[in-house]
Amino acid sequence: MEAGAPTGVIGLVATIGRATLGGVAAIGKVANFAGRGIRAAVTPPWYPRQILGQFMAVGFLSLPVVGLTAWFTGAALALNIYSGGDRFNAETVMPQIVALGIARELGPVLAALMLAGRVASAMASEIGAMRATEQVDAMVTLSTDPRRYLIAPRLIAATISLPLLTLIADIIGVAGGMQVSKLLIDLSPSIYIINTIDFLRSWDVESGLIKSAVFGFIIGLMGCYHGDHAQGGARGVGRATTAAMVSSAVLILAADYVLTSIFARL
Amino acid sequence: MTQTPNLAPAKLEWRHVTKRFGANKVLDGLNLSVGKGRSLALLGRSGQGKSVTIKVALGLMRADGGAVLLDGVDVTHLHERERRASFAGIGMLFQGAALFDSLSVWENVGFRLINADGTTRREARDRAIEALALVRLGPEVADRYPAELSGGMQKRVGLARAIVGAPSLLFFDEPTTGLDPITAGAINELIVDKVRSLGCTAVSITHDLTSARMIADDIAMLDHGKIVWHGAAADLDHADHPLVRAFVTGKGDGVE
Amino acid sequence: MTTEFYTIPGQDKIMRAHLGETLMGFVVLAFAGLFLAYALGVAGLGGAHGAYGLTARFGEAGGLQPGAKVTISGVKVGSVSAVTIDPKTFLAVIRVSMDQAVQVPSDSTAKITSDGLLGGSHIAIAPGGAADNLKPGGEISNTQGTVDLFGLIGQVMRPHDAAPAPTPSATPAAKTPAALPDMGGQ
Ligand SMILES: Nc1ncnc2c1ncn2[C@@H]1O[C@H](COP(=O)(O)OP(=O)(O)O)[C@@H](O)[C@H]1O
Ligand SMILES: [Mg+2]
Repeated sequence: MEAGAPTGVIGLVATIGRATLGGVAAIGKVANFAGRGIRAAVTPPWYPRQILGQFMAVGFLSLPVVGLTAWFTGAALALNIYSGGDRFNAETVMPQIVALGIARELGPVLAALMLAGRVASAMASEIGAMRATEQVDAMVTLSTDPRRYLIAPRLIAATISLPLLTLIADIIGVAGGMQVSKLLIDLSPSIYIINTIDFLRSWDVESGLIKSAVFGFIIGLMGCYHGDHAQGGARGVGRATTAAMVSSAVLILAADYVLTSIFARL
Repeated sequence: MTQTPNLAPAKLEWRHVTKRFGANKVLDGLNLSVGKGRSLALLGRSGQGKSVTIKVALGLMRADGGAVLLDGVDVTHLHERERRASFAGIGMLFQGAALFDSLSVWENVGFRLINADGTTRREARDRAIEALALVRLGPEVADRYPAELSGGMQKRVGLARAIVGAPSLLFFDEPTTGLDPITAGAINELIVDKVRSLGCTAVSITHDLTSARMIADDIAMLDHGKIVWHGAAADLDHADHPLVRAFVTGKGDGVE
Repeated sequence: MTTEFYTIPGQDKIMRAHLGETLMGFVVLAFAGLFLAYALGVAGLGGAHGAYGLTARFGEAGGLQPGAKVTISGVKVGSVSAVTIDPKTFLAVIRVSMDQAVQVPSDSTAKITSDGLLGGSHIAIAPGGAADNLKPGGEISNTQGTVDLFGLIGQVMRPHDAAPAPTPSATPAAKTPAALPDMGGQ
């Protein structure tokens, strides 16, 4: 604080005020960035090679980590229902609880958190490094809009890939739960599956997919935003990488709560 | 002090441009102009704002005050889209080459052709290989990636990328720094050739007086955010400004 | 000068550069696809692989939940997959999925049995003696609804109350009100 700055209560109030203004300004900047990014994503020209490449990097290459996470989550959920749920005969509804938990909540959220770690950080470091080495400036001098060439493909790929990954996670999560229920309570796989399919409503899955599209957008947005605002060379890129990961994870969980409470009222 | 040494209409003009980063005042009312079809060498010690001068002209950095005129038109406050369109006739070699890591050498060189001009990839590749030949790189580097090249090779790829679209205004930020004398000579010849035969206007940043004498019609010396000397290359040896003398003699006496 | 700390492979090189991840991606896709095909096969005609569906209608399904087990002689042979209401007759329609290995004679009886005062209920099937078995998708027509324990207790304690509604039932087999012996099992 510079000399002569107010101290005591007034100083505290001033600090809180500054922090609040800073927060509001940051939200404004992100919203502005998001708006321009969406506009670039939905209007031509598009760069199909970039979009395809991002689908590959964001979607396809995330399959292993999302698949493994989903399997273990489904299995652990079933195990918990078995060991904790016997207090009220819950093991008879193991397939239903696993299906509900995976489709509505755990599939979308865990796939999104995996991608926050894997993809948002990679996007921030790529774009941050491109900023630091003037590749973004170079692109502008080559008459190409970085927002269309770099940002839009990532937003498009993340927003569409994550629901598809979540669908895969839902399927594999059910398989994980089935495996455990077979081992623990000797529930026949076919009975497990019939219970799951008869019980699930399409909205259970759809609401999860809507959530994951929002999460995907958050991941793309945070990755690009922090990368684009990286300052101060390699260290700045490192900071941007962490910021992209942490902020997308926090925003995903916050958006999950908001969306779930909206869906609960429908 | 900053008289314009030629009568050709100005292709590019900086008018009282100021730029600061926090407390660091980099450009402090800079005035400079380059005549159409002329080649200007911008000299100055490291960190004096030469790169910033070019970036402000390109609109990659926003000036705090003053104006930049391209072909007599104020481009300081152009809309993003108009600015990108104006880049169609501009080529820029960045100090660090700024090649796209994720693209091969020929995709770098043909970037504008593929992504802005709508040229087919096949044709862009052919034209990129032609441009690479001009900077003395063979077709075998076309499919390599920037990370696989030496610094000097990257610089030459950056140069090829800058000249590939037949631009009328070229910026070279230290085009020969880090190159061996033979390649440096070839690059200098190329710049001279572009300016003489194609009628391009060129602004080159360099530390190397030999290069400057070879490529430039005019020379400007930047110091403390202002142009402190501006004259014909031939007058360099007769200049009495202490900093210019120090550059010519290679002795830093009397320069703070 | 490019960054030494981040190398981003070219678009064309992505698959080669991440060969292991690419292969794993195909494995994951294949696994999910096969499991989905298997699941849809099982659910589809309810019999290709080890399970088939049956329905049963009850006048009172009190407390029966999807997932509840179906037993014969106390051994689990299937589970309840859906509990719905027939909007015309107001009977509860219960879908159960049965283990393929267990074929049930067509005149068997299904009875909803409580697991305990606070527990859930399940369906106990008493096999009949008919020669032909129920086909997949068939209906167990002999059913016995749940016993309204509190109703029964009330009936015993205050016999002069207004006529207690006998447990309604869809079938003649259940016309006789469900008997107390059910409570004996508690
Ligand atoms: N993006 C930036 N942010 C902050 N300071 C900068 C930035 N770019 C350049 N500078 C500062 O401006 C001054 C001039 O830089 P530059 O134009 O690169 O010098 P040079 O004459 O060697 O090309 C330096 O002090 C540098 O630190
Ligand atoms: Mg510089």
